[in-house]
Amino acid sequence: MSHDQEVSREMQNAFVDGQLDAADWTALVQRMGQDEALRCQVCKLRTLKDMVKGAYADARPRRTALPANRRGWALVAGLALVFALAGWLVHDATERTGAVELHGIAARGLVVHLASSRGEVVDTALQEVEDYLHEARAAGRKVHVEIVANQTGLDILRAGKSRYAKRLEELRAKYPNLTYIACHQTADRLRENGVQVKLLPGVRYATTALDEIVRRMQQGWVYIRA
Amino acid sequence: MQGLFGVSAQFRARVEIQREALYRLAYSWCHDAALADDLVQETMLRALGRGGQLRDQAKLKGWLCAILANCLKDHYRGAQPLEPLDEQMPSPAESPESASASGQLAARVRAEIERLPLGQRLVVTLVDLEGFSYAEVGEILEVPIGTVMSRLCRAREALRPRLMDFAAAQNNKIRSIR
Repeated sequence: MSHDQEVSREMQNAFVDGQLDAADWTALVQRMGQDEALRCQVCKLRTLKDMVKGAYADARPRRTALPANRRGWALVAGLALVFALAGWLVHDATERTGAVELHGIAARGLVVHLASSRGEVVDTALQEVEDYLHEARAAGRKVHVEIVANQTGLDILRAGKSRYAKRLEELRAKYPNLTYIACHQTADRLRENGVQVKLLPGVRYATTALDEIVRRMQQGWVYIRA
Repeated sequence: MQGLFGVSAQFRARVEIQREALYRLAYSWCHDAALADDLVQETMLRALGRGGQLRDQAKLKGWLCAILANCLKDHYRGAQPLEPLDEQMPSPAESPESASASGQLAARVRAEIERLPLGQRLVVTLVDLEGFSYAEVGEILEVPIGTVMSRLCRAREALRPRLMDFAAAQNNKIRSIR
């Protein structure tokens, strides 16, 4: 950094953020010793940085711990045994492919988590759930499937909003062992923003989607994220 | 950390410790307390499911922040067509004018942060609130370090006149009262 060069904004930012190497840092400090305007600019940047940090110092989460904390996540997983582990594996596969694959999962219950209302996600999830229930019935297996929706996924369970109302009703009429759960926290958030939330007939609320998922896992159900 | 019966209690505890920092970031990104809670819950759920993917335990916080950023993107993607991060401008919950009237500097800062395009907001809060290096921010947001620097620069260029003037005005008010 020569004396003739103007010190760029990027360089000034890097200085206040501690991102300069020793040589550049030293050169900039020397330069500031002779350049009052530069010193003033850097001082303002430092002040700005402190202001941003201070503005969020009292931001605290409403929730203080994961629900599983009550008994410990290891215990939750322990109770779920192989099924829970299978759930996480399915979960991982889902994250990679963006599609659920329920075929062949042997468990007494599946909790399918829908956090998105994107058509491809919902279509795939509902199709996989239907295939799974059909397969279980044909094999004489007693299973229960619960679709838990939160975030934008809640939209599929909302009366007057869901594009899937008819399909969901048909599925439930065909398979009484299929239930739909809505996240109360998400609904509350929508209401706080002035959105009216009315659920489809037969849909139940859980305090939060996570509470419900953990509760089901404690009962040995497999968790699938759609 | 992925034991025989799933994620270990130690890993879960280490994730839990980061809740407050994650919430602070999430809140600074969306300025909606309930949504920030949702995003943090979702982040922790995803983290516990993917614990085996974290190779370097020292990078836990950055890894969690990357998941949080993806949760936020997923949220916006589900809510509306996702515009480039630099263009995304949510409607502020609190106008700068009302924050100014309330005389609360923190509220004014938050309002101004909220006015920033999302890409700039993510960068400035990761650097200023959590002290991540530029390289770490680049990893978290999956953008080149040059993008981090330019977004940060533009964010502070936007914030500086608005907030420094406001702070100066507040200071003058206090002096006149005295």
